[in-house]
Amino acid sequence: MYEGLSSPNIHTPANLSEYASIILHYPASSLWAGGTFIMSRPDSYPSRRMNAEIIYLGEIEELHRFQRNDRFAEFGAMVTLDEILNTGKAVLPKVLIENIESIGSRLITRRATIGGTICTEGFTTSFPGTLIALDAMAEVRFIKKKRLHSRWMQLTRLLDRNGRIMLPPQGMISRVRIAFTEKNCQYFTRIGSFMLEPDEAVSAAFTGTLDQDILLNPRISFTYPSIGICYSRDIDNIFSSLRFPLDETELGNLEGMVFTFIDSFFQGLSELQKVRTAGILRSIIEDLNVRALTLPSDEA
Amino acid sequence: MKIDCTIDGKTLTLSLNSDKPLSLILRENMGEEGSVNHCSGAMCGLCAVLVDGKAMLSCMVPAFEIRGKTVVTFESFRRTRGMRDIEKAYESVGAYPCPDCYASRTIIFESLIDEAITDKEQILRELAMVRCPCMDPEDEIMIVQRGIELRRKRNVRRSQLP
Repeated sequence: MYEGLSSPNIHTPANLSEYASIILHYPASSLWAGGTFIMSRPDSYPSRRMNAEIIYLGEIEELHRFQRNDRFAEFGAMVTLDEILNTGKAVLPKVLIENIESIGSRLITRRATIGGTICTEGFTTSFPGTLIALDAMAEVRFIKKKRLHSRWMQLTRLLDRNGRIMLPPQGMISRVRIAFTEKNCQYFTRIGSFMLEPDEAVSAAFTGTLDQDILLNPRISFTYPSIGICYSRDIDNIFSSLRFPLDETELGNLEGMVFTFIDSFFQGLSELQKVRTAGILRSIIEDLNVRALTLPSDEA
Repeated sequence: MKIDCTIDGKTLTLSLNSDKPLSLILRENMGEEGSVNHCSGAMCGLCAVLVDGKAMLSCMVPAFEIRGKTVVTFESFRRTRGMRDIEKAYESVGAYPCPDCYASRTIIFESLIDEAITDKEQILRELAMVRCPCMDPEDEIMIVQRGIELRRKRNVRRSQLP
C-alpha cells in the first residue's frame, strides 16, 4: 500500500562535514536519530510531506563516541540509552539511571538515542528534564555563513519560554556532557505513560545535597510531555537552605509556592497532572524528611 | 528506493518507500500477516522480530534502516533449535502465551535466553512491552531461567561432540 506515493529521500552522511554540506543543500530536511518517536506516531507512514528529505545521523561516527574522565562523561548524540546504561551504570548519577530504567524495555532503549530524546519535535520526553536537573551541557552545531559552527551550552539555555528545547535553525546537538555529581539526594519519578497518555503524564527529577539536615544546591524540574519542561531558578531557591524535616504546614506552604510558579509557566495543565505533580513533590519531601531524621549522629 | 536485505534466510532486493515500517513490509510484501501485527503507533508490542539477532519492534524500524541487515521473523524462527528450547521451557513451566502474543513473546524470550539475562526486573521490563495480559510474571521469569538452562546444556553437549 502507498507504494505509489513519493518516498522521502534518505541522506546518510558519514561525518559532520558531509552533514553540513547536505543541510546547506536541503535546509528544510528532517533529522533522524533513533526514530522511536517518529515511528510511534499513528500518522508516521505514509509521510504527509511531499518531497521530504531525511538526514539519517546513524552513520556519523563522531556521534557514536563516548568518553569519560574523573569529572564528567561525554556522550555523542547517537549513543543509545541502552549503551549509556551498559557503559556508565556504576559511575553515572542515580537519577539518570533511574530515568533510563523507567523508560522500560530494551526494545525501546536500544533504539532511542540521547540526542533524539532531547530534540524530539513537538513533544518532550522525560530525559531533558533530568539532564537539566543534573546541569548537563550540550554541544550545539549550527550553520552560520555557510559553515558549521559549534558551541557548548547549558541545557537550561536551550529552553524557550514555553519550556521546549529550541535549537538554532538547522542546528543539531552533537554531544552531551554530564558531570559526575556528588549530590546525595537524587530522585526521578514518572507517573503515567509519556507515549500513551501525554496529556496526563508527568515526571520530575530532583538533585540536591542534604548536609546536616539543610538542603544545598537543589535543582528540580517537572516535565509534561505535551506541554514542556518546567524549570526555574526561583523554584530551586524555594528549596534552597530548607531545614528538614518539614512539618505539614511548611509542606503546604512550599507546595503553594511551587504551584504559583508552575501555574505562571503553564496554564494548560490538566487537573490530573496537577494532582500527580503535588504527589511527586510530597514524596520527595517525605523522603528528605526520612533522610534528615535517620542521618547518622556525626552528619546530623 | 531499492533495499537489499535478508529476511528469513532469503536475500532480497525490495523496491519500497524509504520510511515504510518493517512491520508493514513483513505484512504486505512478505505475507506474514499472522505473526506480525501493525498497530500504527499504539505500542502493542506484538510485532517483535530479530534484527541481526536482537529483538526489536518492527513497527519502529523504517525500511532504510534494514539495508544489509538480517531479519528473522517468528515464521522462520519456529523451525530452529532455539525454538525447541523455548517450547520445552513452556512445557516444563506449564504456561503458554495466548495465540495473539505467542509469536512476539517467543521472540522476546529468545533474545533474553540468548543473552542469558537472569535479572528478574530486567526480564519483566522486557516482557512488559507486550501489552497482552495472558501470562503470569512469575511464569515468565521461570520460562527464561529454564530456557537459559536448556540452552546451556545443549551448548555443552554440542561442544563435547568429537
